[in-house]
Amino acid sequence: MEEKKSIWKFGTREVVYAAIGAALYAVLTYALNFLQLPGTGNVTMRPAIVIPMFFGIAFGPIVGFIAGFVGNILADLLSGYGFWFWWDLGNGIVGLLPGLFSALIVNYRAGKSILLAELSVILGSGLGMGLASVSERWVSGADWNTVLVANFLPAFLTDIANGLVLLPLLMVAFAAVINRSGRG
Amino acid sequence: MLVAWNYHYRNSPMDHIDPRARWIFSFAFLFAVTQTWNPLLLAGLFAIALVWYAMGRVSWKDARRGWLLISFMLFSMIVVNTIITGGGAGGVVPPGGQLVWPDGFSLFGRHLTYGLTVERLWFAISQLMRILGISLLFILIPYTMDSRAYGATFSKLGLPDRLAYTMELAFRFIPSLARNLAVTLDAQKARGFELEKVRGGLIKKIARIAPLLIPLTMNAILSSEDIANAMDLRGFGQRKRTWLFALQYHWWDWVLIAFSVVLLVGVTVLVHALGMGGFAVPAWFYTFFAG
Repeated sequence: MEEKKSIWKFGTREVVYAAIGAALYAVLTYALNFLQLPGTGNVTMRPAIVIPMFFGIAFGPIVGFIAGFVGNILADLLSGYGFWFWWDLGNGIVGLLPGLFSALIVNYRAGKSILLAELSVILGSGLGMGLASVSERWVSGADWNTVLVANFLPAFLTDIANGLVLLPLLMVAFAAVINRSGRG
Repeated sequence: MLVAWNYHYRNSPMDHIDPRARWIFSFAFLFAVTQTWNPLLLAGLFAIALVWYAMGRVSWKDARRGWLLISFMLFSMIVVNTIITGGGAGGVVPPGGQLVWPDGFSLFGRHLTYGLTVERLWFAISQLMRILGISLLFILIPYTMDSRAYGATFSKLGLPDRLAYTMELAFRFIPSLARNLAVTLDAQKARGFELEKVRGGLIKKIARIAPLLIPLTMNAILSSEDIANAMDLRGFGQRKRTWLFALQYHWWDWVLIAFSVVLLVGVTVLVHALGMGGFAVPAWFYTFFAG
């Protein structure tokens, strides 16, 4: 029988998972910065964005949010890019939204779970990158066209491509880890 | 792989300001500057940002990487979107206006017409002052704030202990995860994995990251169990946390906090009560394009 998970719990384990998620996101973003999108000048692929999505799915919305929010801050600090609050918040939402689906996911290998996770990737990326892009309206005075074409679409499309490809792989691997270690 | 923080002690004025006062000032500035397109207010705020940046004594060599990213962002936002394509100014700059080259201009023997207006050009300058002002403040943080200070700072600023400690813990995990990444990468390379030579389309490129990403993530999750158990055994979260990194306000920190409040309240009043927030082109700027 499937048991219900409490998605808002934030105990010691969640503190550690959130910190690990944030640090992983930062290190992978820093290490894989050189991977450019084919045919673009300066848009990085950022496959590490799957980390907050996965931590959200596996450990809940708070962990997912912190992995994205703090991870993006750390990645920018490591790279020397400064501090960009709205983009940090957007990355947090990319992790938070999949976390809201985490209660529905018990078997990480099941087709239905993977479909739900993929849906959460699209919703999370849309909302997170949408908020971050729209912030450029009041931060930089950009018009809607710029917000959509220069900010939202490159970030949203790369995020969902990374999420849709890598998240199921991480979920299946996580299912194997749970089985092997007798957790879950 | 070597992952190092960009901070080092420079004995600059910034090194002597309490991190809490710095965050309060930075956010007060952010919220103040994003309220207005008034040229006078923007120029004043930009001057404050320049002084603030100078107080960090960060060399060009140190901050070059960050500035390259910001230059690219400024170029695409201001030169490409606002000046060349005429976008980026919608909603702020009213339609119409005075053309910079009303009769067109000659380039390489060809006569060209170009619809750039004086108003849009001034908007580009305003954008530059606003975005560069914000960048001057926030790019300074990685170079001038000790990474040990973040957890204590956010805790003292009112963030719950568990959240502040999560941030502190994440900082500590970075070096060991970077080492694990290097070990995993070496192990996969020994099996023929070539990260640097990932060819093909977008999906193929993404999928090729999996042999690096999956073992690294799963190992991190497994090792976090031991850390969580050790923390539980030491009674983590049972009482209010104390921090190893001590923070202490000095009189100049209070002055800075008071200045931040005055700045934010002052700009808010000027913008919302006195109607000084709107976009306007100074009269002197038109004289450059008068004839």
